[in-house]
Amino acid sequence: MWDAPTSMAKKKRKPGTTVRAHENRRNGHGKAQLVPVSDSYQRTFIIPDHRLEKPTFTMRQAQGDDGVSYGLIGDVKAPVPPIRESKYLSKQQCLEIYRYMLLNRRMEQTLENLYKQGKVVGGVYFGLGQEACSCASAYALDKDDWFAPMIRNQGALLVRGFRARDTMMQYMAKADSPTKGRDGTSHFGDIYERNMVSPISMLGDLIPVMAGVALGARLQGREVACLTYIGDGGQSTGVTYEGLNFAAVKDLGLVLIVESNHWAYSTPSEMQYRVKDLAERAIGYGIPGVIVDGTDACQVYDATREAVERAHQGKGPTLIEAKMMRMKGHAIHDAADYVPKPMFDYWRRRDPITRFGQYLINDKKWLSVAESQELMAGVDREIEAEREIAVNSPMPEPESAVGGVYCEDGCHEVKPKYGAPKVKGGKRRFKETEAAVHLK
Amino acid sequence: MLQLTYLEAIRQGIWEEMERDSTVFCLGEDIGIYGGAFKVTDGFIHRFGPERVIDTPIAESAIVGAAFGASLTGLRPVAEFQFMDFIACAMNQISNMVAKTHYLWGAPAPLVLRGPSGGGVHGGPFHSQNPEMWFVHNPGLKVVCPASAYDAKGLIKASIRDNNPVVFFEHKYLYRRIKEEIPADDYVVPLGKARVAREGRDLSIITYAAMVHTALEAAEILAKDGIEVEVVDLRTLVPLDREAIANTVRKTNKVILLHEDSKTGGFAGELAAVINEEAFDDLDGPIVRITALDSAVPFSPPQEHYFLPKVEDVVREARRLKAY
Repeated sequence: MWDAPTSMAKKKRKPGTTVRAHENRRNGHGKAQLVPVSDSYQRTFIIPDHRLEKPTFTMRQAQGDDGVSYGLIGDVKAPVPPIRESKYLSKQQCLEIYRYMLLNRRMEQTLENLYKQGKVVGGVYFGLGQEACSCASAYALDKDDWFAPMIRNQGALLVRGFRARDTMMQYMAKADSPTKGRDGTSHFGDIYERNMVSPISMLGDLIPVMAGVALGARLQGREVACLTYIGDGGQSTGVTYEGLNFAAVKDLGLVLIVESNHWAYSTPSEMQYRVKDLAERAIGYGIPGVIVDGTDACQVYDATREAVERAHQGKGPTLIEAKMMRMKGHAIHDAADYVPKPMFDYWRRRDPITRFGQYLINDKKWLSVAESQELMAGVDREIEAEREIAVNSPMPEPESAVGGVYCEDGCHEVKPKYGAPKVKGGKRRFKETEAAVHLK
Repeated sequence: MLQLTYLEAIRQGIWEEMERDSTVFCLGEDIGIYGGAFKVTDGFIHRFGPERVIDTPIAESAIVGAAFGASLTGLRPVAEFQFMDFIACAMNQISNMVAKTHYLWGAPAPLVLRGPSGGGVHGGPFHSQNPEMWFVHNPGLKVVCPASAYDAKGLIKASIRDNNPVVFFEHKYLYRRIKEEIPADDYVVPLGKARVAREGRDLSIITYAAMVHTALEAAEILAKDGIEVEVVDLRTLVPLDREAIANTVRKTNKVILLHEDSKTGGFAGELAAVINEEAFDDLDGPIVRITALDSAVPFSPPQEHYFLPKVEDVVREARRLKAY
């Protein structure tokens, strides 16, 4: 059951058999039957699916009397499965992940309040319902690994050492934001301490970049895991393909989590791709793919940790599909009225924080109710303190828009992070080639 | 001193930088054992090894993205585009990932994006383009267009050492057609500085890349009629040497702007605006643009010849401007 994620091709070949897909056979009553004949060459791929439930409902766009809408077909009444026991996490680690998830949720609630108070510039993006995916995956990285968040991975930022005020200041466009006001949301990075690459608004572009980070580290003698995310919508872009294929060909330690939250803005996944599960795409790249329940912190952690260790061993990329649901609209302005209500009900019962809390309190008895309340109170205090600092920090001076277009006059020193690459070349000296000959 | 072609000078420049600095590496299509479509990286893989001379899949977005990612770990990638026409396939990475990164979140991107550009070789519309303006218009990038073998070597070395992303256009017409004496020592030509390729007093031609040679040829013809043309080779488009532009206009008071790129939105429009800002009072005549036509580069030789700016165009316009 808990095999390391693989997508292995199994070739079955019977010597001497010719290739025939089917042959007609007539039984005693003269009826023709198609009987499959084993091919002389057949491949089977395995995509492990670690979920304890596999929802079977789907959506259809239907045109009725009052217009076009999405309708849900299938069973949405299935009971919520338990959290799957982690193979690796200790009690302490589980409690830490839980705390990060609480911080994640509380920070986003605070952002929503700030927005309603008119203190936020532009919109707010939420990762509601995705906290287990963000926090548990980032938690699976070693300190020296790299990561690049997407817009809904605010929790991952906290796990990697950023503070809630950083995100709040970004949203409020403050002078002390990590980008000094020049960009908002999660568009910031830190290549020196926390090994984070800033996202941009275009989707999929982080994938080749993170492959490149792994490439650069390898040239300096290090195999680092480079974790990034992409949505079920975002993975449709061409650059996703180019980047993932590049990482696969070069066996680079890219850990790609496809956040299958069913909605790309207003576009459901049924209208985004034709495969049944996005993890199947791994077959096309020649890399392992695995499916996990994105609302189960243990499953997310285990799959990410295994992928991170593959990366450290130089074994190449892994594609992890985390199934969950985006529990708010695309951004705060989007009420998500297009989502069938039963879908929200189904996934609300699977809230990652509720599930993990019940697991810790009731199943593992690692947290008492009183301790849990104390934990939440501590989270509230921390976020409130961060909020105070962020709100009271100044807006940038207008002139601060100027400067920094170019890296000039030694504003940064570019030097290899892990040490100068060892020169491992041949003895050939520079020789003029025939290209040097002037054409007469 | 060696006699090297423009191409060989570039090759030598990159080789020297890779010898001198082990953080420099190359990536691109067919640059390894094949040595590159134009043989710019010929022999590199045997000297520097496959880790530093990387053959990539056909994926320009991935080439740029991976180069950028590697530069974030402190390396200096040199990414080759087999033809600069194909750089269009990586526009989002270049514009939105690379160009903006230092301004937005303070991460330098010390990469070089290089490849052959330009026409006159019967390459057709997808092997002859001059797409420099897409990058001139993108704050955060530097744009370099050498016209001589000496400058090509010095500028590729300077570009590799620069902490900013540099888009380096090597004019393929010049690759094997020009040959110069190149010093064997480690010299660098600074970015952002134009050079006066020919001194004159009657009018100035401000130009770059292959058209520098067209201008020089026209200048020889005009000299026989006593018209002394000053030819200024910009060498770098961004950052632009505004001082050199102002100086030459103040000196001759009449200026022709010449480039192989198409007219509308071509660099001559930007230069005309700069001249207006820097030296309007020194102008004794309208600014003249000589450029290619506003179309794709046609394939058939007589069409391409008509499409490109010619020596006769320069001579004709210079005479007219002189008489103004």
